[in-house]
Amino acid sequence: MSERITRQAFLRRAAAGGAVISVPGLLAACGGGSGSGAASSTATSTVKAVLPKTITFSNWPLYIDVGKNKTHPSLVQFEKHYHVNVNYIEDINDNDSFFGKIEGPLSQGQSVGRDLIVMTDSSGLPQRMIQLGWLEKLDKAAIPNIKNLIPAQQHPNWDPNRDYSLPWQSGMTGIGYDPKKVGGDINSVDDLLTNPKLKGKVTLLTEMADTMGLVMLSNGDDPSKVTDKTWNAAKAKIEKAVKSGQIRQFTGNDYAPLLAKGDVWACFAWSGDMVQLQADHPGLKWVLPKTGAMIWTDNMLIPKGGNVYGASVLMNWYYDPKIAAEVEDYVNYICPVNGAGAILKKTDPKVANNPLIFPPKSYLDNAHIFDGKALNNPKYKQDFQHLIGA
Amino acid sequence: MTAATPAVATYRSQIAAPVRAWAFVRRHVLDVYALLALGYLFLPIGVVVAFSFNNPAGRFNFTWQGFTWKNWANPFGFPGLSGAVRVSIEIAVLSSIIATILGTLIALALVRYRFRGSGTTNLLIFIPMTTPEIVMGASLLTLFLNWRIPQGFGTILIAHIMFNISYVVVTVRARLVGFDRHLEEAAMDLGANELVTFFRVTLPLIAPGILAAALLAFALSIDDFVITYFNAGTVTTFPLFVWGAARVSVPPQINVIGTAIFVIAVTLMLANIVWQNRRARRNA
Amino acid sequence: MGKFFHRTRWATPYALLTPGTAWLVVFFVVPMYYLAKMALSQGLFPLFSFGWAWHNFSDAVSAYRPQFVRSLEYAGIATLISLVVSYPLAYWIAFRGGRWKNLFLLLVIAPFFVTYLIRTLAWETILSDNGLVVRILQDIHVLGPDGRLLATSAAVIAGITYNFLPFMVLPLYVSLEQIDQRLVEAASDLYANRAMSFARVTLPLSLPGVFAGVLLTFIPAAGDFINAQLLGTPQQYMIGNVIQSEFLAIRDYPTAAALSFVLMGAILVLVLIFARALGTDRLTAGTAA
Repeated sequence: MSERITRQAFLRRAAAGGAVISVPGLLAACGGGSGSGAASSTATSTVKAVLPKTITFSNWPLYIDVGKNKTHPSLVQFEKHYHVNVNYIEDINDNDSFFGKIEGPLSQGQSVGRDLIVMTDSSGLPQRMIQLGWLEKLDKAAIPNIKNLIPAQQHPNWDPNRDYSLPWQSGMTGIGYDPKKVGGDINSVDDLLTNPKLKGKVTLLTEMADTMGLVMLSNGDDPSKVTDKTWNAAKAKIEKAVKSGQIRQFTGNDYAPLLAKGDVWACFAWSGDMVQLQADHPGLKWVLPKTGAMIWTDNMLIPKGGNVYGASVLMNWYYDPKIAAEVEDYVNYICPVNGAGAILKKTDPKVANNPLIFPPKSYLDNAHIFDGKALNNPKYKQDFQHLIGA
Repeated sequence: MTAATPAVATYRSQIAAPVRAWAFVRRHVLDVYALLALGYLFLPIGVVVAFSFNNPAGRFNFTWQGFTWKNWANPFGFPGLSGAVRVSIEIAVLSSIIATILGTLIALALVRYRFRGSGTTNLLIFIPMTTPEIVMGASLLTLFLNWRIPQGFGTILIAHIMFNISYVVVTVRARLVGFDRHLEEAAMDLGANELVTFFRVTLPLIAPGILAAALLAFALSIDDFVITYFNAGTVTTFPLFVWGAARVSVPPQINVIGTAIFVIAVTLMLANIVWQNRRARRNA
Repeated sequence: MGKFFHRTRWATPYALLTPGTAWLVVFFVVPMYYLAKMALSQGLFPLFSFGWAWHNFSDAVSAYRPQFVRSLEYAGIATLISLVVSYPLAYWIAFRGGRWKNLFLLLVIAPFFVTYLIRTLAWETILSDNGLVVRILQDIHVLGPDGRLLATSAAVIAGITYNFLPFMVLPLYVSLEQIDQRLVEAASDLYANRAMSFARVTLPLSLPGVFAGVLLTFIPAAGDFINAQLLGTPQQYMIGNVIQSEFLAIRDYPTAAALSFVLMGAILVLVLIFARALGTDRLTAGTAA
C-alpha cells in the first residue's frame, strides 16, 4: 500500500494545498516497505501534537446532536475549546455506496479529504479496510477517555485492541411488530418465517449480517463463527420462506413506513428506528428474539491521509460522558460511553430508562455480532444476493 | 327555407337531444381524459402536499398525525437542507441550459445535414441512455480520479450535462423533423442570410421543442441520485440529502421544499404567461 | 458573411456537432473505455487484472437471463402503457392548451421536484394494503380477499410508468404541437371524419414524437432498479438490481461491467429493430433542403 503514494504525488498535493492531508499520514505511507501500522505510530510520535486548522468529519445523517439554529452543540463546543474548525458532512447513507465512493481514491493512494468517517461493522467494510491498509491507527495517547468505552465493546474480534476504531453508536437488530395485527406478542424468528397467519406480511433486511445472523441464531448456530453447514442451513430456511410468499420483501430501513401503515405486521427491525416509530405509534413493539439478537456498531475510523492527531482528539471529545450524553439525548441509538447513562438519568430520564437506548445486561448478553471473515467471503455474499433476488 | 317549420322544431327537441348530448360528450371526452391523466400525475403529489402539513411526534412522516403549519413556518429547520436545495437548483438550472444548447446544436446537425459520421453520432447519443446509472456514475468517478479532478460541484455539473445531452437531442430532433424548410427558404429569398434566418425564423418555430427539452433536462437533473452520489465528493444535493436522511428520519420539511419549488415554478410560469398576454395585447 | 457560410458549408454540421459530442466523448466514451477494460478483467476486489476475459459476458447472460428478460418485459409494458396514457394528454396540451401550454408542460414535470423517495412513499400510502384503492378493488373482486397492490409486478410496472411519464409526454407534445391544423381541416374538407383524419393525418405526423418518447422511456426503464427495490419482491428484481448489487455489495466489478454492456447491447438491438419497423429515415432526418 505504501508504494502507491509516490513522492511526486505527495509533492504535487502539498503544493496544491488541497484536501486536508496529514503530514504524518503521508510520511508514513512513503515510509517504505514496513506495514502502515508501525510506520504511522513512529510518525505520530515524531510529529508534534499540533491540531490542524480544519478537521473534516463525515457521518451519517442525524447522527449527532442538533440544537437550536440547526447547529451541533457538541461540535460547537469542541470548536470553541480547541480553536479548530470542524467541517461536518452528513454524506454517508449506506456503507457499500460510501465505500464505493472512497475506494477509488484510496486504492490509488489519494486522500479522500476526510479525517474521520463512520462505518458499520456489520457491513464487513471496516474489517476490509484494515486488511487493505486503508485506515490509520488511532493516536491512543490523544484519547485518554478511551477508558470510558463500555466493556462489551472493548475487544471486538475484528479489532481486538481498538487500534483502528472506536464505536460511535450501536444498534440492535430484532423483531419489530404490531401486536394488534399479529394478534398478540411474538418473539420467535421461526414464527416470522413459517407462521401462515403472517404470510405476505413479513419483511427481512437486505443487510446480510442481520438477516443471516438472526436466522442462524434461530437454528441454534453461532453467527460469529460461520461455517458452510450453518450458512446453508440458514439459507435454506430463508429460501423456503421466500418461495412460499411468506416474505413480502427484503428492505433497507424502508420497512418503517410499511410497518407504520400496517402493510407489514412483523419484520426484522433496528432498535433506533423503533424508538422513532413508537413516538407516533406507541402500539408498535420491538423485541429481542428468544434465540438472540444481532448488534451492530457504527465505528469512527481514520481513512488513510486523514489527520491522525486531529481525528483522535475529536474522538476523545466524544468519549467524555457529558458530551456523549448530549449526543445520545438526540440520536437515541445505543451509547458506547460509560457514564452517559448516569448523566441522562438526571437530565432526561425518559431516554435514560429506554431499554432500546440503554439496554440492560440481559439484552446485551443475548446480542451477537456476525463473523467478520464471512462478511467478506465472496461466495457467501453472492449467495445472499441471489437470495434477496439480485 | 326561412323559418323552422313545426316538423323541424319537433325534430330538434326530441330526436336531436340525444344527438346533441353525444356531440357534447364527444367534444369533451378529450378534456375529461386529459383531466384524468393530470389527476393521475398529481395524485401522489396531493399526498405529498397533504403530508407537508403533517405533525408527527417522531422523526418519520409516514402516517397522518395531525395538522400543523409549523413545517411551513420553518421549512429549513432541518440541518443541511437549505444548502442541499440550493446546490440542486443551481446545478439543475446550469446543466439544463448548457445541455440544451449543446444538444440543440447536435440535433440541428443530425437532422439538417447528411454527413459522414452521422450514424456514429446517433449511436453516441443513444448509448448514454442505455447505460445503467451506477456504472456510468462509477466509471465517471474513475475518470475524475485518474485525471486528478477533485470531486464536488464542478464534477456534479459535468456529469449532469453529460447525461442530459442525449435527452435534449432526442426531444429537439422530434421537433426538427417535421419542420417546414420552405419557411426558411422564403426568408432567404427575402434577403436574410443564414444566421438571420436561423434566429428570426427557425429558432422561434422550434422554441417549443427546445423549451420542452430544457424542462426535461431540468427534471432529470434535479432528481438524479446515483450518478450524483458517486461524483459529488463532499457536496450534497437535495436527493442525496433525502436518501441520506431517510435512514433515520423523513421530516415533513422535505415535502414542504418539494411543494414550494413546484409552487414557485408555477407562479413564475403564470407570471410569464400574463406578461406575454399583456405584450400581445399591446402589440395587437 | 453569407459567402463565408456558403464556402464552408460542408463544415457546418461538424461545427454544430463539436461542442456537444466533444463533451460526450470526454465524459462518456472515455469512462466507457475504462469500463470495457474492466469488463474484460477478472479477479477479486480490489485486484483486477485485464485478461481478455470474454467469458464474463457469457457467464453474465447465463447467470442472469431471467432478470434480463424481465427487465425488457417490464420496460416494454411500462412504455406501452405510458404511450397510451400520454398521447391524449400531449394531444390535449398541444391543441387545446392555448396560452397555457407551457404551464401544462411544467405541470407534467412537476412531480420531479419532489424527490423520488417522497413520491414513492406517497404511492405506498395510496396503494397501501389497508388503503382505499385496495379495498375498492377487493370489493369489486379485481383483487382477491388477501390481494395487495404493493410488492407485486403490477406495482413495479406502475412505478416505472409513473416515473417516466414526462419522458413520453414531452416528446409527443413537441411533435404534435407542430402539426399544421390546416392539414386536418383539409382532410375533413375531403370528407374524412374525425377518427379518419386523426388516423391518416395527425398520427403519422406525430410519429417522430412517438419514436422519441418510446426511446426516452424504454431505454432508461430497462436499466431501472429502484422501482423493483422499493415496490417489488425478489421475484420482480430487474437486471438493474443485479448490476447494483454486483457493483456495490459484491464488488465484482468485471461482472457488473459485463452485465452493463450486455444490457446496453440488448437495448440497442431492440431500438434498431423498432426504428427499422417505423422507418427511421423519416423519423430522424428532416425533409431535405
